[in-house]
Amino acid sequence: MLRILLLVLQLAFLGLLYLILFGFARSLLRDLRGAERMERASRTGIGRLAVIESPDGEPPVGRDIALGAINSIGRNVNNTIYVEDDFVSANHAMLTFRGRSWFIEDQGSTNGTYVNGHRVERPVALSYGDELTIGRVRMRLER
Amino acid sequence: MRITWRRAELAMLLPLLLLVPLGFVLTHVAEAGKLEPGPLGLALGYLAIMAGAHLVLTLSGHRGDQLLLPVVATIGGVGLVMLNRLPQDLAGTSAFGLQLGMAATQLLWFGVGVVAMLAVAVGFRDDGLLRHYKYTWAALGAALLLATFVFGKEVFGARLWIDLGPVQFQPGEFIKIVLVVFIAGYLAENRALLTGASARIGPISIPPLPYLLPMLAIFVMVMLMVVVLKDLGTALLFFGIFLTMLFVATGRRSYVLIGLILFVAGSFVAYQLFGHVRARVDVWLNPFADPSGAGYQTVHALYAFGRGGLFGEGLGQGLLPSVGGSFPAVQTDFIFAATAEELGLVGAFGLLALALLLVFRGLRIAMLAHDDFSAMLAVGLTTSLGLQTLIIVAGNAKLIPLTGVTFPFVSYGGSSLLASFLVIGLLLSISHRAARVAEPGAP
Repeated sequence: MLRILLLVLQLAFLGLLYLILFGFARSLLRDLRGAERMERASRTGIGRLAVIESPDGEPPVGRDIALGAINSIGRNVNNTIYVEDDFVSANHAMLTFRGRSWFIEDQGSTNGTYVNGHRVERPVALSYGDELTIGRVRMRLER
Repeated sequence: MRITWRRAELAMLLPLLLLVPLGFVLTHVAEAGKLEPGPLGLALGYLAIMAGAHLVLTLSGHRGDQLLLPVVATIGGVGLVMLNRLPQDLAGTSAFGLQLGMAATQLLWFGVGVVAMLAVAVGFRDDGLLRHYKYTWAALGAALLLATFVFGKEVFGARLWIDLGPVQFQPGEFIKIVLVVFIAGYLAENRALLTGASARIGPISIPPLPYLLPMLAIFVMVMLMVVVLKDLGTALLFFGIFLTMLFVATGRRSYVLIGLILFVAGSFVAYQLFGHVRARVDVWLNPFADPSGAGYQTVHALYAFGRGGLFGEGLGQGLLPSVGGSFPAVQTDFIFAATAEELGLVGAFGLLALALLLVFRGLRIAMLAHDDFSAMLAVGLTTSLGLQTLIIVAGNAKLIPLTGVTFPFVSYGGSSLLASFLVIGLLLSISHRAARVAEPGAP
């Protein structure tokens, strides 16, 4: 009698464990479908610039700038990324996506372009998460 | 503040209300021989801890991964049931005038671990502390390692413990996390250069020298661990984590190839030179040469797997878990063999499937991360948990030589539990940051 009872309890324990696993599997499946939809909706670009600091408010702090393959940054309104700041040159820097990674190149600006606090002297490859400082505007490259 | 309910997390935590008490009752019925619930204090305590964690995450508006906590809680629940089933005098503490048995001590560490996890998950709103001070962290790790070299105490032929008066701890578990933080920071900073130009010798491209040096430094550190600490499992784990992260960062097979060649050469030399390495390998190749001596644990673990069969001997009815003290390390290194005997192949696969789910979620967090450092960190931390599980499970089943690492969230041990929960806390905080950025209009 006890043996049968123990067997039933044991199978109940294992059954419950597998029900939990089944629940996880279902959540994962739902999640994968959701992720696919999200991917289609938002992940069209190759990267974004998140604005961290911007004293004059153009671009405003918190804005996510979607990037194309070639982006010019400067105080001239004809740039793809227009930055309103007294310390930014008219044509300040170029941010380009070549091959598999991002590169930043200073365009002979007066106050220089900085990556993670180091001044850029030649085209420099960037990683996602790197911080760009242009004039007094700080931006972060994100995926 | 608007509270977002973590509905998926709650839904997957609810079945534990049944699972953990059922395990405790089953154990008690098998041991007492009559139908009565028996003491359920520990099971309820465990459920309270997990419910508390869920509540804190919900109330703090955490947007991190919702399946991480339930997966960990399920693995830990099965682990606690097993530890409660083992003889309680195998380990324990007598702290604060209280005499705690093994399962009670483990529950105490679950509490400490969950608090640490929540502190990291909720408190780490910015990764600067990890990312910008990577050399400080590396120095801390090196100091911990050095301390183990000098003050380490040898247990079961490996020097992994540091004795701090009332508490002992295993620095290796924490060095693991620090190592991952350092490698992630290093690779995120130098990724572009690592994937870029390289010299070529014939058909093999050689990575630039400045980036080979840290690789060699870590290899030397790992070999030192093998020689001085005799800690083969942790050494293998560290090297595996490093190679995985390097491959993920660069996508270049040549690095992995060089690493594997170093590994094979190092293993061969270690086998030739050091008795403790040779002993482990010889036991693995033929445990039946000395079944009551060196091969004792491996032989009886294999018998335990066999006795377990498909559905197991039943919780509380296995032989290996019953003998307790006469089978060394059943609560730590051989907890998987003990579980497999009592829950069978089905239960053991269930446990492995849960570990796999954990790895899957960790890698998903890495994929959704918005910067390289977070992604590399998530990959490294996930690898550390997954690889550690793999090493100990394969060691139990005689697929690889047995090396003493713990089964995360299952094995008895405070250091291991605390470190594993810190890893989960970090993963939660990474996924939280990714979710915040993804939300339009977030500050």
